[in-house]
Amino acid sequence: MTHHNPLECIIPPYVVEKVAQNGTPAQKEWARRTILQSAQIRGQRQAVADMTQRGQRMAAPARDCTVFDCGTGTDLPGTRVRGEGDPACNDPNLPDIDEAFDGATLTYDFYKDIYGRNSIDGQGLPLVSSVNFGINYENAFWDGTQMAYGRGHEALPPAERLFNRFTIDLSVIGHELTHGVVQYEAGLVYFQQAGALNESFADVFGSLVRQYKLNQTAAEADWIIGKGLFSSNINGVGIRSMKEPGTAYNDPLIGKDPQPGHMNDYVNTSQDQGGVHINSGIPNHAFYVVSRELGGKAWEKAGKIWYVALCDKLTRVSQFTDAARLTHEAAGELYGKGSLEQKAVETGWKEVGLPVSASEGDKVDLSGCTRLVGGLAVLLLGLVGKRALTRKK
Amino acid sequence: MRIEFERSGGFANIRVAGAVDTESLPPQEAQALSDLVNKLDFFALPSVIPSVTGGADRFQYTLTVEDEGRRHTVELPESAATGDFANLIGSLTALARRGS
Repeated sequence: MTHHNPLECIIPPYVVEKVAQNGTPAQKEWARRTILQSAQIRGQRQAVADMTQRGQRMAAPARDCTVFDCGTGTDLPGTRVRGEGDPACNDPNLPDIDEAFDGATLTYDFYKDIYGRNSIDGQGLPLVSSVNFGINYENAFWDGTQMAYGRGHEALPPAERLFNRFTIDLSVIGHELTHGVVQYEAGLVYFQQAGALNESFADVFGSLVRQYKLNQTAAEADWIIGKGLFSSNINGVGIRSMKEPGTAYNDPLIGKDPQPGHMNDYVNTSQDQGGVHINSGIPNHAFYVVSRELGGKAWEKAGKIWYVALCDKLTRVSQFTDAARLTHEAAGELYGKGSLEQKAVETGWKEVGLPVSASEGDKVDLSGCTRLVGGLAVLLLGLVGKRALTRKK
Repeated sequence: MRIEFERSGGFANIRVAGAVDTESLPPQEAQALSDLVNKLDFFALPSVIPSVTGGADRFQYTLTVEDEGRRHTVELPESAATGDFANLIGSLTALARRGS
């Protein structure tokens, strides 16, 4: 049964999120509970919607990727240019059409083959990508329903270019599509630590899609996100480095990569939704360390642990310590308590200053036992009390 | 009229910021900027304009206008930056880039 508080329905989420950021401790706690409650309501709605859709769809739909061209406009999705079964454009002047199509299909296949997931929503949602968004648009995004990519500065004279087209690297496409997966799973709020986790999951699976395509081991991979996005005028290999956060670029025009790789360097800021693209360096590096510790192909074990935590454990308001605890828990469930895999997760979070206690899992069990014992005691007392009352009659 | 402009966020999160005094601009450009500010009724806007859509990796803008002793700051997401806002932000981005 859902307790319905009318007050919470009329307060817009952004106000609650501002309070969560700026309020007194008591206000912050109120905001946290409000966000959590609406997440639970959303979860119930989603569960009902899932069941309804499952009933309606007899067979799971197959992959359905389509690319649209915005023609430098900003109205989405634009004009359809390529879908499933269509021949490649092979136009050297418009490489982004084929890159967006191939990137979306590769990412779909990655999720299907490795984690058994059918598209962004797990139910075969058609994947819509729009290229050539905006004029000299130096960005790619997920708008809640589809992916969109700018051509960067490729239309400007070479000397003025800072950014190449945003479809140039598969990790960007995997990143944007994963924002969709996050939206349908944990639903992490795009703000501060929960937002940085949202960003980090997008980077993790964006990187894994490219590693899978290239069949690289964790040791062979470069762990660069947005490789080749900068033009040759900028001193940088890409936008972010999961292996060494803060080292992807350093240039007099655009400054230095601001990502921390340790909690000691966590950045408090109001910019960028509270630093979602900055502090994501911390969980990014934790994932890299786990993959390094385990060796081999990172999508097989480290990726699986992160995927299960994203789908089954994290919530809208999860913080870094929650992600540490819950990936540790997922590793224990998948590979056993005290397994090499679970120990690797411990090492990963420890190296970024978020240690997960080795006894964390046991502590949860103990509290479960305490609750059980307490419950039995209450039940016994109740029975004794009832008998006593009966006798008195 | 003085306008401060800042952009953060986006996939690459490369900050773009700048300030412009319309007196330092050619008259036509200055007039175009103050026309946009007036059409938006900037000083009557709320200080935070909420996002109308979900999603991720979109830009976040902060605009501050100073005029005739008044000063007002508005924070808005890219999804709300349409129409005159889009034109104003487009002009300011171009100016910020020219200045850098």
